[in-house]
Amino acid sequence: MDALLPDKKFLKERTEYTGIHPQKFALWLGMASMAMFFAALTSALLVKKGDFRVWESFSLPTVFAFSTAAVVSVSVLMYLSLRSYRNAQFNTFRWLLLASFVMGLVFLVLQYMGWQKLNEMGLPITGNISGQFVYVVSAAHGLHIVAGLVVTLIFLIQAFRSRRDPIFELRNIINPKRQLNMEMLAAFWHFIDGVWVYLYIFLLLNYQ
Amino acid sequence: MQTAHTVEHAHTADHSHVHGHDEHHHEETFLTKYIFSQDHKMISKQFLVTGIFWGIVGGLLSVLFRLQLGWPNETFPFLETFLGKWAEGGKITNEFYYALVTMHGTILVFFVLTGGLSGTFANLLIPYQIGARDMASPFMNMLSYWFFFSASVVMLFSFFIQTGPASGGWTAYPPLNGLRDTGVNLGSGLGFDLWILGMSLFIVSSLLGGLNYVATVLNQRTKGMSMWKLPLTMWALMFTAVIGILSFPALLAGCLLLEFDRLLDTSFYLNNIVINGQLLGYKGGSPILFQHLFWFLGHPEVYIIILPAMGLVSEVLSIHSRKPIFGYKAMVLSIVAILVLSFIVWAHHMFVTGLNPNLGAIFTLFTLLIAIPSAIKVFNWIGTLWKGNIRLSSAALFAIGFVSMFITGGLTGIILGNSAIDIQLHDTMFVVAHFHIVMGVAAFFGMFAGVYHWFPRLYGRFMNETLGQIHFYITLIGAYAIFFPMHFMTGLPRRYYTYANFESFNNFNHLAAFISVAAIIVFLGQLIFVVNFFYSIFNGRKVKGEKAADGYEYANPWGATTIEWSAPVDRLHGNWPGEIPTVHRWPYDYALKDREFIPQTEPLKPGEVENH
Repeated sequence: MDALLPDKKFLKERTEYTGIHPQKFALWLGMASMAMFFAALTSALLVKKGDFRVWESFSLPTVFAFSTAAVVSVSVLMYLSLRSYRNAQFNTFRWLLLASFVMGLVFLVLQYMGWQKLNEMGLPITGNISGQFVYVVSAAHGLHIVAGLVVTLIFLIQAFRSRRDPIFELRNIINPKRQLNMEMLAAFWHFIDGVWVYLYIFLLLNYQ
Repeated sequence: MQTAHTVEHAHTADHSHVHGHDEHHHEETFLTKYIFSQDHKMISKQFLVTGIFWGIVGGLLSVLFRLQLGWPNETFPFLETFLGKWAEGGKITNEFYYALVTMHGTILVFFVLTGGLSGTFANLLIPYQIGARDMASPFMNMLSYWFFFSASVVMLFSFFIQTGPASGGWTAYPPLNGLRDTGVNLGSGLGFDLWILGMSLFIVSSLLGGLNYVATVLNQRTKGMSMWKLPLTMWALMFTAVIGILSFPALLAGCLLLEFDRLLDTSFYLNNIVINGQLLGYKGGSPILFQHLFWFLGHPEVYIIILPAMGLVSEVLSIHSRKPIFGYKAMVLSIVAILVLSFIVWAHHMFVTGLNPNLGAIFTLFTLLIAIPSAIKVFNWIGTLWKGNIRLSSAALFAIGFVSMFITGGLTGIILGNSAIDIQLHDTMFVVAHFHIVMGVAAFFGMFAGVYHWFPRLYGRFMNETLGQIHFYITLIGAYAIFFPMHFMTGLPRRYYTYANFESFNNFNHLAAFISVAAIIVFLGQLIFVVNFFYSIFNGRKVKGEKAADGYEYANPWGATTIEWSAPVDRLHGNWPGEIPTVHRWPYDYALKDREFIPQTEPLKPGEVENH
């Protein structure tokens, strides 16, 4: 089966300068941009926290620990899914991709439960500014998760549709463009999951 | 000149292993060719034409508010015909005046000088000058334009709603813009929501474009095109994109918090607001936080505007004075220095916000440091012109005009960068004069130089030279007539609707009227350019070239070394019919001992030492 898989060199078009496919490179630049976005939000939080007259500290609801676990699991599943794709284990690939999609949804639900919990704790979105930041940071991150889920859904539909036609499936899989896209999707998930882990640790350190 | 390949051949040779064969054999329809085009040259034209449209709108807005500033006691009945309730009795209302100023700033800074300038020239020049068939991701490139287009539609739409467009300043400061219903400012309502939406779409467009520009320059260069063989346009456009990628997200974050305040009643920027004698419930926010986030983009933004213009001017000056650019590596390193410094000077916009004076001193230091790379660049442009065999075409004139404007405006920057002096000058017409000359007019000059110079590359025809020269002299003299007197309107605050209540400012009335007359003349002068541009697309003098063996016509109308002119006059999809040329030398081999110039594609002679 291995012989059917695309040679890695096959994916490249004049990439001797950086050794990476230009579109993947563009994605990395995009990650730098997204990192700046979250850096701006979290530094705004630090500035406001410095204003101790208004800042009311509280401890973060535990449900965010579960959502962090969920988002890490998405990353692990994505990794395994990509690995089975490369090894041409298409069936495993499909189900792992579906599992990571589901875990992404679970993450969003858990985030929503976190908001509800905050509300119950007497920290509605219109409440103290310390609580407001948790809403806005998680909402901004959640939008990126939604974007990731939409793209994953498109991949899922393609993956399951090709199941009945082995020739179509083979064509689909050995298409270097598809493999590149799959790698980029996985990279995006690793990044955005990492961002949440960063945000969670950042919030833990700042809310005690 | 080129081996005889068909266009199709070129695709199979260079593209097929990435995209698969089936993608490239489709028929082009009107829709795929002109509307949803993924070709960098068509996208460049789309950006340029949209930019010209916004340039006219933005300029017209300034003419309208100059009517009010020049003749505050007059009425202009025709205004009521066009503007209705916004100019009742022929006098622009104060509400609409603020909308005009706000939208003039937004449109020119973002939609013309960022979208229009970078969008046009990065798209046109990057693939051509590095030797690539297209951008790294043509699809993303198309999205970039269509996000820009949707942003434009949203912004334009906001002019036609009942409460009018945003009117709280292009800087969108809270608390004025932090509440939907302020009771004093109609534009803070729906108009400002649309402003935020439009700007968010614009930021997405700018990021999608920027990622592509950097990825393309770094990855898609043709054989032999090492970084030190790139023309300065490439360096400038690439670093412009880098600045955008790193700074626009801060504005997006700032706008996100602002929209939360407006729609969800959070209080990131709001604290103890009193409206109509009533204390609102917002607690703990700080409007200064927004200023930090805004200017973290806002200052790099002026370099996003000026760097592409600098790149275009460097190239045009070198070509039209038939000399290598003076200090090529110094030029590149100055761009890098400007890039780094641009991120650590933002608080010089905030000296009067109660900023810690010690912090102010640090920001003053970094701000003044920018004078060094800027001065190096100016010195090198003059050094390039020095003893050159200068051809005073419209493109060259605008490039020289750029240098003049950049010096004039740059000098007042040194004055304003000092925190102690800035406290006196803050928000006066002196500031208006400074930034309009140094980044507004100068960037326009760079853009015009670029359009006149690369018009043959875009359309295979020349623009009319006589009209171009008339356009140049009207713009140069007119722009100085508008902005130079503003330096001397001592203490006159900017953004005021009327100065009638200030005895001390009465002596500026005639000067204000003079500026308004000049502004109207300059605006009409730009219409010469617009007419010239659209007329020349269809009827301009054709570029005449030589027919090569492959049946394509090749021309190098300005005698330039760069490889965009080694492609046929016709704009082919994929740019070169055969193989992409290999590059052997730097882009500034002009005025050599035995040759006038040598194209980058020509191999070094045995024993020849490469220029740097």
